[in-house]
Amino acid sequence: MTTPLVLGVLAGAILSGTSLLYATLGETLGERAGIVNLGLEGVLLIGASVGFAVAVVTGSAWIGLGAAALAGGLANLLFGWLVVSRRANQLASGLALMFFGFGVSALVGAPYVGAVIGGLAKWRPSWLGRLPWVGATTLFNYDVLTWLAVPVAVLVWWVLFRTRWGLAVRATGESPAVAFAAGRNVSALRYQALGAGGLLAGLAGAHLSLSLTLTWSEFMTGGRGFIAMALVIFSKWHPLRAIAGALLFGGAEALELQLQARGSDISPFFLDMAPYLLTLLVLLAWGGAGRVAAPGSLGRTFYGAN
Amino acid sequence: MWNKLRFIAGCFALMLGPAVDAAAADAPRLIIGAIYVGSVNDYGYNRSFHDALTQVAKDVAGVKLLEAENVPETPEAERIMESMIQQGARLIFPTSFGYNDSGRNVARRHRDVYFEYPGDGDPMTNFGVFFGATQPAWYAMGVAAGKMTRTNKLGYVVGLPIGYALGNVNAFEIGAKSVNPKAKTVVVVTGGWSDKAKEAAAANALLDQGCDVVGMHVDSPATIIQTVEARGGMSIGFQSVEARALAPKGWITGLGFTWAPFFTEIANSVIDGKFRARAVYQGIGKMVAVAPFGPSVPPDVQKLVTAAAAEIADGFTPFTGPMIDNQGIERIPYGVKMSSDQMGTFHWYVDGVIGKVQ
Repeated sequence: MTTPLVLGVLAGAILSGTSLLYATLGETLGERAGIVNLGLEGVLLIGASVGFAVAVVTGSAWIGLGAAALAGGLANLLFGWLVVSRRANQLASGLALMFFGFGVSALVGAPYVGAVIGGLAKWRPSWLGRLPWVGATTLFNYDVLTWLAVPVAVLVWWVLFRTRWGLAVRATGESPAVAFAAGRNVSALRYQALGAGGLLAGLAGAHLSLSLTLTWSEFMTGGRGFIAMALVIFSKWHPLRAIAGALLFGGAEALELQLQARGSDISPFFLDMAPYLLTLLVLLAWGGAGRVAAPGSLGRTFYGAN
Repeated sequence: MWNKLRFIAGCFALMLGPAVDAAAADAPRLIIGAIYVGSVNDYGYNRSFHDALTQVAKDVAGVKLLEAENVPETPEAERIMESMIQQGARLIFPTSFGYNDSGRNVARRHRDVYFEYPGDGDPMTNFGVFFGATQPAWYAMGVAAGKMTRTNKLGYVVGLPIGYALGNVNAFEIGAKSVNPKAKTVVVVTGGWSDKAKEAAAANALLDQGCDVVGMHVDSPATIIQTVEARGGMSIGFQSVEARALAPKGWITGLGFTWAPFFTEIANSVIDGKFRARAVYQGIGKMVAVAPFGPSVPPDVQKLVTAAAAEIADGFTPFTGPMIDNQGIERIPYGVKMSSDQMGTFHWYVDGVIGKVQ
């Protein structure tokens, strides 16, 4: 293990991990309110396609970013209407949202495939760029989403664990009946949590199309939504641990490619499988506390009033 | 209310009827159907087919083109081809390597419809195969890369490690070594023809590990070229010569497919009733073209590359023995030349390539 390999993996982990972190944070908000959203993959795709389409049409990646966040929020609110107001089964609705996301994103993105955009501007403080080993890599040369990834995770933690709204959301996730009895508006809280989570998921999708790849193609998220759902469990529904999870999985993906670029003797087919294998192993090792750490009413429909 | 709506709908149909009859009077002489595995706007593989077929539709009178993008390489493709045949298509282009089985299945069911498939295998009476001989052409690209590299490390992103892709990599390295004995090619496999996020990460990984020139064999070179350009590296394009628009500074040169003359010949043969199923592989000058050079390529390098391309067009093959692979095993004995129909049989990397096949 030499310095270029370690730095390369770190750089790749941060780049890949950004969208994973935002997606995990978005799903965490929803799950803390008791709603499991299996359609996260669809919401990511909606964010990616809307963000890219708007960026092409307006010429500004920033407006695209905003549009992606809005689109993600709307998609989650639609899902919220299904599971909160109409009291549909959360798992089935989530899968329906996923397929809906596949179709809508393909429809929205189709006219813009192949369009060339400038993408989100990257910025690196000059004193960091002059450090040896750092200058030639992508380290610290990030766009706004990557720079804000950890601050946003801290913000989500602070909102969930240090504000009254966050407390109410967590109470709703643990036991909506008790929250309702204490005078909270369960439906409103769930809508708010889902909406905020959708904003973050939209940003996660936009990072893929507006910064990492600068393009749109169907199904470009490649299963990241499901990885994010596994990361929510791995991080025990805690936003700060999600940072570690996103780095870990992003790092696994980066390691696979960096090892090949280094000329490793391991089969590329095996390396291709490695990130998913790692996720499975990690869940086996640390996912067992799921029973204790999960919000008490995760996935259960609340039939009380409002 | 429904009856009223049905009545109105019926009136519309009657109005459109004569319009349809008028259109039938200018019925096309040949309807061509094409299915693509991705989008035609990919600056790459799919675009090369789309550009060629629209050219055919323009050059040959009475040709109508039906296209379907993003068709998965599953039995779903058969359904789409069947629906095109129902709309009157008599010449079908299943344009991706993975449509082999579905294309042949549909061909067996419709003996009066002709197929041209880019890949390998034996032709059937109504099913021809063809491809551009890119492997020798990558030798010229290797010459360009070997001369332009400053770190002597060249990068190559491969989608799926099929024989043709490995052949491209090998020719690239052989060409680079011929002008720069210290040049090494590093290969990263992404596991799919079109996984954009992986391609961006692969390009970053190659640049992180010291490569300064990157070539690729994936469906669309766009993401890799843009990633390399953003980090100041140099790129060699593939699939479509239009990709040079994406790298105004770092573009060296590239290879693109020019299918139009061959497709025109096939379309005319179907119209004249003289279709013959063959296996046709053509190289530089016919199905494969060398893209224009980028602004940073000095004239002496351009001369070398053009000369290498001309040699290849004349029949030179870089795969002449003796040749050892990167594990030290001799793969081509002294005096033996690999023929063009063996290009899909590569399962090894030549000495100088850093990578593992499996």
